[in-house]
Amino acid sequence: MKARTSRSIGRVLLYIGLSVGAVFAGFPVLWMLSSSFKSNASIFAFPPKLIDGTFSLGAYLSVLTDSVKIGYFVNSYIVAISVVIVTMVIALLAAYVFSRFEFRFKSVIRVVIIGVQAVPPITLLIPFFGIMVGLGLYNTYQGLILTYVVFTLPYAIIMMTAYLDSLPRELDEAARVDGAGSMAVLWRVLVPVSVPGMVSVGLYTFMISWNEYLFALTLTQTDNRRTVPVGIQLLMGQNNYQWNQVMAMSILGSIPVLVLFLIFQRYFIGGLAAGAVKS
Amino acid sequence: MTSSSPAAAIATATQPQRRSRRGRFEPYLLIAPTVLLVLGLMVVPIVIVIGYSLFDNVVTNQNPQFVGVANYVAILGNPAFWNAVGNTLIFTVISVVIHLLIGIGFALMLNSKLVHGLPRTIFRAIYILPWIFTASVVAVLWRLLLDPSGVINYVLTTIGVLHQAVPWLATPATALISVTVINIWSGYPFFMISLLAGLQGVPSDLYEAARVDGAGLVRQFFSVTLPALRPIVYSMALLDLLWTTQQFTLIWATTGGGPINHTEVVSTFTYKLAFNSYQFSMASTSAVVILVASLFVAIFYVRQQKKASQS
Amino acid sequence: MSKEARISRRRGRWVFSAIAVAASAALTLTGCSGGGASSADQKVTLTFSQWWAPEMPKGALQDIVNSFEKEHPNITVKLISAPFASLQSQTISQAASGTLPDIVGLDGSWVNPLYKQGALYNLSDAMKAAKYDDSELASQVGFSGDTYMIPVVNFVYPLFTNDQILAKAGISAPPTTWSEFSADAKKISQSESGVSGWVVPLGTTNPNGVQNDILSWAWASGGTMLSNGKPDLTGNADVSGAVNMVKDLVNSKAVLPGANGLQETDKVTNFVNGRVGMMIDSLAHVTTITQGDPNLKFTVSAQPTKDGYTGTKGMLTASWGIGISAKTKHATQAWQFIQYLMSKDTNSKLSTLANGFPGNKTSTPDFTGADPHFKTAFGIYQKSRPVNEFTGLPAADQLMTSFLTEFQKAVAGQESTPTMLKNVQAQWKKQF
Repeated sequence: MKARTSRSIGRVLLYIGLSVGAVFAGFPVLWMLSSSFKSNASIFAFPPKLIDGTFSLGAYLSVLTDSVKIGYFVNSYIVAISVVIVTMVIALLAAYVFSRFEFRFKSVIRVVIIGVQAVPPITLLIPFFGIMVGLGLYNTYQGLILTYVVFTLPYAIIMMTAYLDSLPRELDEAARVDGAGSMAVLWRVLVPVSVPGMVSVGLYTFMISWNEYLFALTLTQTDNRRTVPVGIQLLMGQNNYQWNQVMAMSILGSIPVLVLFLIFQRYFIGGLAAGAVKS
Repeated sequence: MTSSSPAAAIATATQPQRRSRRGRFEPYLLIAPTVLLVLGLMVVPIVIVIGYSLFDNVVTNQNPQFVGVANYVAILGNPAFWNAVGNTLIFTVISVVIHLLIGIGFALMLNSKLVHGLPRTIFRAIYILPWIFTASVVAVLWRLLLDPSGVINYVLTTIGVLHQAVPWLATPATALISVTVINIWSGYPFFMISLLAGLQGVPSDLYEAARVDGAGLVRQFFSVTLPALRPIVYSMALLDLLWTTQQFTLIWATTGGGPINHTEVVSTFTYKLAFNSYQFSMASTSAVVILVASLFVAIFYVRQQKKASQS
Repeated sequence: MSKEARISRRRGRWVFSAIAVAASAALTLTGCSGGGASSADQKVTLTFSQWWAPEMPKGALQDIVNSFEKEHPNITVKLISAPFASLQSQTISQAASGTLPDIVGLDGSWVNPLYKQGALYNLSDAMKAAKYDDSELASQVGFSGDTYMIPVVNFVYPLFTNDQILAKAGISAPPTTWSEFSADAKKISQSESGVSGWVVPLGTTNPNGVQNDILSWAWASGGTMLSNGKPDLTGNADVSGAVNMVKDLVNSKAVLPGANGLQETDKVTNFVNGRVGMMIDSLAHVTTITQGDPNLKFTVSAQPTKDGYTGTKGMLTASWGIGISAKTKHATQAWQFIQYLMSKDTNSKLSTLANGFPGNKTSTPDFTGADPHFKTAFGIYQKSRPVNEFTGLPAADQLMTSFLTEFQKAVAGQESTPTMLKNVQAQWKKQF
């Protein structure tokens, strides 16, 4: 009896906490949504209203009927999905090595991988750009994909190493005893139990490739290679600002990401890894 | 090879012949793609940047001259640089600590068994929202929200918290805190998601054992959850530290480093050197100084990790 | 130059190229093929990077390009549009890695570093080679006697006043002198809560508030911030007069709150929403205003001048400039395109579509169907002297940023106007 009351009190408190957090997280986005339906002038009107007389779907229509802007979305998907796949494979191999092997230069390589992230990208812009041009990767998907793989790799490796470190070594030992090689241990034993970690790293990788602007702009030249963030920025010009379309395009860009997350979030269910370890 | 890794030890013990040749090269083979990419596309540009920093002025000057460490002397003696370093530290430390706290809090709430089904899915979706927008849009959005005639001031003056609208981003006293809040908002989902994933790896029998021992929720958190998450928390805090020191777009597009340099951080300082005054050598120098400082952090982290895996 | 320096310099360059070559070689091995070489066809394709297309009605710039291509069947012009806010860093980076498009849209604040990079083609040579008569050009921007940028379209910055707000404050006509302007701004701010007299953006993201809203006051009254092309701020009566007036308006709360964080675009959004009575803003924003609030009645007039000033009024101008990449293989064709853009009819069409005024003296904008304010403004423009002293200056953005930062200190009472100008002068001198 007592347990049940304390449980329902706990649930009420939890819902209150979750709601407060949801306001912090969601209100600005709600405002973005509301702005995407307003006219460019009334976005800045006072007093601010969630919905006003200028409500229209015009901004969405002008984004969705523009084949160039649709092209930006397609490019963003091609780049982001490729980056997730390439980064995950390379990072898993590296993380496996860092977590399960001892070899020379291990510490040096780790320090370098972590350290290189600390250089402000803006200062790397000119030399990096020069290298990409030299490689003939200017204005190509491959150039952008390679760039984001390099950007996301350090994080993916560090986090995957941390996840693999947290998995009991008895797992690989058992498989080794059964005669499995390193690759079998990685792909058949470790990967299946680190799905939550992989999902979170994959989401991060996708997000970085999806939202990056500076290099996306620098490394591409024509509309058929440009990504959504560049398209959004093109709506904020010198004299001409399409505020509602900026908001609409951001909202449109976020929906697929949200759907993707909702599909994968079911992997965040307590005890999955624990159960796998036991079996 | 002084191997202390149990996996390697076991492997050597059970399959001595097979490991001998293939095994010795295996780690190098697996790490090769990473090394190649990081070397070619990160280390090389960084080396070029280090090269830039030793010249009097590259890019705009067609005949740059070698000046040794003169740029380093100049930048380390520049009070504006140290002002930027100070602001960066405040911005970064507050951001990382609050990211961590909010991240753990939200992850625990979203992982709780008391909420499930549709409500949990909805909350999870709302909570990652801030993460899925590009930084320049986040900046535009928050400029709109924080404007004197924007919705935040409107709500605060209407309910009587404020007498008068405050230009949050334009007031020296509130500007740095405001950009920090924006950064916290846009960055916490990353912590939350990683911790949420990490929580799945905590074996549930540990909680049961703790409960049998009579541990309350708080005790369970400190004796089971936190120790299990420690490697992830360490890694994320480190990464967030390195990334936040470089946050550029959010600050640049909201305050441009002002008012009176109150939000000038190392990244905006460096940008201004590069693209406002076209001193690319000086900008490179500033970048290298940050790099060196970060390498110390990285070395500390790797040592820590090594110790943790050995113990 | 000492021998030692020359050697070390050469070694430095060698090191750079060695690294670049090594990197390219290493990465080419990983399976990335090089870019294709251009075919030896007769036809020439020119690339043209600009931020103009997104500013104009959809497809308008492409139409102009198409009609050029019709006249020159062997030349194709490929438009590359980039966001204005990032184009400066993009152009500099492209110049540094040798990928600058053949024709480049230029802003007056970043033509100087590109020239120093050696990235721009000498347009005087191009004009000579084409035997072009440059007397039609309203202005040219250059260094040591040669032209490197030609302003194609000019945007003027008149005074916009909201008729209703002025009437409510008991003001019958837009101010014409500094003291009238000051008095009116204060009157408006006191007459109605939630409405300010003027809007002055002092944010440093894009520091052009310095030219648009502070120094423009001095320029309008015949003042200058330079002498012999060098900064001349200390003891400059026109500049300190302008600084004092703006400072006084900020401190007496006659301007929109939060000036330190405002950007140029905030002027028009606040004007449309009736929160400010007056602004100095680009004429191009007339469309934004009429679209935002078709019922808003407003007047466009010349920027007020110093009391007692009788000379020709200066009118703040910003330009869409154009130049050619020094690395282009098709300088002749590139010039043909520029010449086409500058020709009487095309230039008139282009500037009308852009809501600006032509860079060709003989062109007149087409006012049919245009907002009547354009015609009023063109009348003022013809009687004024277009001015923007930051065009072509070294590190113009840095000059403006340091001016703004010192100005913000002066407004906060941390330093007096003379001290402020002395500090700015010292910082500016380092850039020249």
